Amino acid sequence: MSIIQQHTSSSLSDAWRTINIDALDPDSSQNFDTTTLHPPLPEIGEAEVRQLNGQVRQLLRGGDAEGALRGCLESPVYNGADGAKDAHLQTVIEVLQSIKASDMTPMLQRIYKSEGGSELLDVLVKYLYKGMSVSASSSGPRTPSRASSSLTPQQTGFSQVTGRPGASNESTGAAMSVLLSWHEKVVDVAGLGCIGRCMSDWRKV
Amino acid sequence: MSQSLRPYLQCVRSSLTAALCLNNFASQTSERHNVPEIEAQTSPEVLLNPLVVSRNENERVLIEPSVNSVRISIKIKQADEIENILGYDISFLITNFHTEEMLKHKLVDFIIQFMEEVDKEISEMKLFLNARARFVAESFLTPQYQFD
Repeated sequence: MSIIQQHTSSSLSDAWRTINIDALDPDSSQNFDTTTLHPPLPEIGEAEVRQLNGQVRQLLRGGDAEGALRGCLESPVYNGADGAKDAHLQTVIEVLQSIKASDMTPMLQRIYKSEGGSELLDVLVKYLYKGMSVSASSSGPRTPSRASSSLTPQQTGFSQVTGRPGASNESTGAAMSVLLSWHEKVVDVAGLGCIGRCMSDWRKV
Repeated sequence: MSQSLRPYLQCVRSSLTAALCLNNFASQTSERHNVPEIEAQTSPEVLLNPLVVSRNENERVLIEPSVNSVRISIKIKQADEIENILGYDISFLITNFHTEEMLKHKLVDFIIQFMEEVDKEISEMKLFLNARARFVAESFLTPQYQFD
């Protein structure tokens, strides 16, 4: 007689094979505590971000673009709600877009040579990558819905009723090209190390 | 090369060059295994922050670096419906064994050249498709019977 006296439905099915037992083991490498990899960061609230953004915009209106850029790079939002992070990202992008292409390299060189300038440029690179990923992911869910809505009503003919899909593309394309040209110039000034530090830094913006 | 393609590829090139600093790293979960950590995702501390480079919302590259491997996912041109048919997404996985056997800058060159050529190819295919559609429509709509 078999030593297994009773078969239950759960022991007969194969479902238990798919349980990842490593996830349940506190000593497993999968449960490594990544909070030990960065210093504790002060939490920044939305009100503080908004106040800072007001100051940055004032500098920008006053024509001090470099001061505005320094201002927003000196206080990155590492630990905060998504709203605060997004608000700060918007300010950084606004400042970047308002600076002329011919002013970029001299301004970056001045910042790079100043005290703690290389950290500021690291923060800038983080915001450049974030800017490129945010507009990509925010438009992500919209794109398939557009495709399906334009395709389902008429299955046989061409679906040209919907607006030109490239129309929304041009504005994001222009925003991206600003970020791309900033990226190129930062790498020219600060080197590839700033990308490496952006990848390996656990303080995420 | 189009004006907006150049900074995009330049950005991908520098990001890739920075990401391709790979080391041999054995698996921490199973002994005598050596797996690309970015695929296995079993040790959070060896995965680096993923980078996104985008030209516009329909053309972007996701670079996911880790200690011994980099996964590069490319979304190729899907701006309108014809490009939706012609374009596609593709991922490359580069491990430390590749960077040990091959020259790193040549690997980067390969990815960049691939992106450049696919961009060109799809634009060409789109033109051919339009030309063919025009020809087909013309012959379809030409009156077959003349009433004179």
